[in-house]
Amino acid sequence: MSAVTDSKSSRATQAISIRSLLPWIIAAVLLFILPTVFGSRSALTIMNQMAITIIFALSYNMLLGQGGMLSFGHAVYMGLGGFFCVHLMNMVEYDGLMLPLPLLPLFGGFFGLLFALIIGSFSTRRAGTVFAMISLGVGELIAACSIIVVAFFGGEEGVSGDRTMGPEVLGLDFASQQEVYYLTATWLIISAAAMYLYSRTPIGRISNAVRDNEERAEFLGYSQRHVRWMSFCASGFFAGIAGGLFAINFEILTEENLNLATSGSILLITFLGGVGFFVGPIVGAVVFTLLQTVLSLYTGIWQLYLGVLFLLTVMFFPAGLTGLIAIHLRSYHLGKIGLLVRPYLKMLVPVVTFILSSAAVLEILFHARHAALGDEEMSLYGLTFNSQGVLPLSIAGALLFGSFLLIKHLAPQFRDSWDEANHDGASQ
Amino acid sequence: MSVAAIELRQLSKSFGLARIIQTIDLSIAKGERHAIIGPNGAGKSTLFNLITGKYHPTEGSILLHGEAVDKLKPYEINRRGLSRSFQITNIFPKMTVFENIRCGLLWTMNYKYSFWHLVDRQPDLTEKAEAILEQINMTGRRNMLAGVLTYAEQRALEIGITIAGGADIIMLDEPTAGMSHSETDYIVGLIRNVTENKTLVVVEHDMGVVFDLADRISVLVYGEIIASDTPENVRANPKVQEAYLGSALEEVED
Repeated sequence: MSAVTDSKSSRATQAISIRSLLPWIIAAVLLFILPTVFGSRSALTIMNQMAITIIFALSYNMLLGQGGMLSFGHAVYMGLGGFFCVHLMNMVEYDGLMLPLPLLPLFGGFFGLLFALIIGSFSTRRAGTVFAMISLGVGELIAACSIIVVAFFGGEEGVSGDRTMGPEVLGLDFASQQEVYYLTATWLIISAAAMYLYSRTPIGRISNAVRDNEERAEFLGYSQRHVRWMSFCASGFFAGIAGGLFAINFEILTEENLNLATSGSILLITFLGGVGFFVGPIVGAVVFTLLQTVLSLYTGIWQLYLGVLFLLTVMFFPAGLTGLIAIHLRSYHLGKIGLLVRPYLKMLVPVVTFILSSAAVLEILFHARHAALGDEEMSLYGLTFNSQGVLPLSIAGALLFGSFLLIKHLAPQFRDSWDEANHDGASQ
Repeated sequence: MSVAAIELRQLSKSFGLARIIQTIDLSIAKGERHAIIGPNGAGKSTLFNLITGKYHPTEGSILLHGEAVDKLKPYEINRRGLSRSFQITNIFPKMTVFENIRCGLLWTMNYKYSFWHLVDRQPDLTEKAEAILEQINMTGRRNMLAGVLTYAEQRALEIGITIAGGADIIMLDEPTAGMSHSETDYIVGLIRNVTENKTLVVVEHDMGVVFDLADRISVLVYGEIIASDTPENVRANPKVQEAYLGSALEEVED
């Protein structure tokens, strides 16, 4: 029991430093200049969707990552927030409600909070399986309601509105995609910062404590149920904000926005990015939205690739994509990250070949099976060939096999370099 | 006479047909160091869990400073000034040592369910947490993850978390289980130090520790207290010697 007295370097109380603000400033600047680089309508739509998904995923991680609550029905709070916002938009249009559009997401948040307050009052009694099951049940219930209660949810067509009918703010009527982008980006920064700060408050820390050890937390004076309930409400609030932004962007909400499929994808997105990191859900949302919007332009089986990516993440990188980056920090701090450059370059060609050739095999098979009768011509990677022929498939198969062997051959070498780069040579 | 810190009246607990705690009457005075000993399966942990609110008694009542607490939840009992440790190390492994201690402070330092304070910017919180780290000699481990500490360090940290909230009744469940001689000595010293002027209730197997630490000892056998007295009298008690077959107690006398 030697108490090594090292310097109390990170004394907790310090003034707001530039260092801690820097990531937020960079993010804000980036969000500000992005439209000048990607200014097209479709790019703006993708970025808006990305921003909404980021807020939604961050709110989901308040449950899963920080509170240890696995929810299968988080879309309910975003969806309900969104539906209420569309109705508010319609009240602005028809009943002369004086509500400036930029404030609408806040009301979405309040509605999300309200429903989280009600549903959380019984769903947060227990964590684990009980919570997951209740969330699933409630999710299914609300999704079913959305088809039955036509007056509110609009049945299968959903409810649509018009965002431009409200009072102008600073001369903006939000008819253009660009104006909506800046509105969404502003809310993104506000929400993300608020969620980050929440994780640094007493309730945020105790929510981590309850996640790790609910029994211990109870003997510190905290009711595990109340702690979970509060986190649940906060999470519902931010999900509602995402819902409000969705309503503004797309001007329509349907059953799809609160069904189980949407709840499932937000779980997938958050896990893909990494639940253990604050930025994890952000990474997940960006990757997912890109795959969804860009990859789907090129292939009909993009969901298959997404599924494989998800499976690989769960099996091999449970810390998510962010975790994949984070494991390099050790060698970086040891100053040995340079040792990894060569091995990575060596692995690059076989790994890329492996990925592209497996995709090629899948695409050729998919085309051969599902293309219209007589349509045998397919193009892939800029090549055009007959998908029914044996040759293309054999070549792709051979490349797949070859690159696999090469990876296997290089793997031990790579592992050695990895160990070397992560080995603290000085002290041992 | 002042009110007892803990008083058990006609306390019993059954799980189904099995009556684990028979009928217990026990009074532990303020500032007393009380040890509960007994063979495996005697009901020591059950008794602990009854007092701390994890289980509720089948019959009888539990009084803390003269007020009945047997229907309260663990966190409510904790808020009345009782804190406990566990037989199996019970810390927050994914947090740093400092954060573990800080979590133990939040409630009693009135941060409760606040979402308008930032924990890193509360000088009083930081100062108090540092002081407790100092007290349990773990300042040097401040920024380490609790999960990677050695076993003895984790136990010490748990004691730190337990006392952090400033509870005046501390209950420790086998604080030295599975420790080497030197580690045991260290932990006993620590316990003595941090529970000064507090009421201490400890369940312990190591008789050396028990006779070293306790003002009074209760012997629990098959859910009944067969003796509750000073260490000398307990050692001399024939019923206790019979229950222990003399073995454990003789070792201590050596």
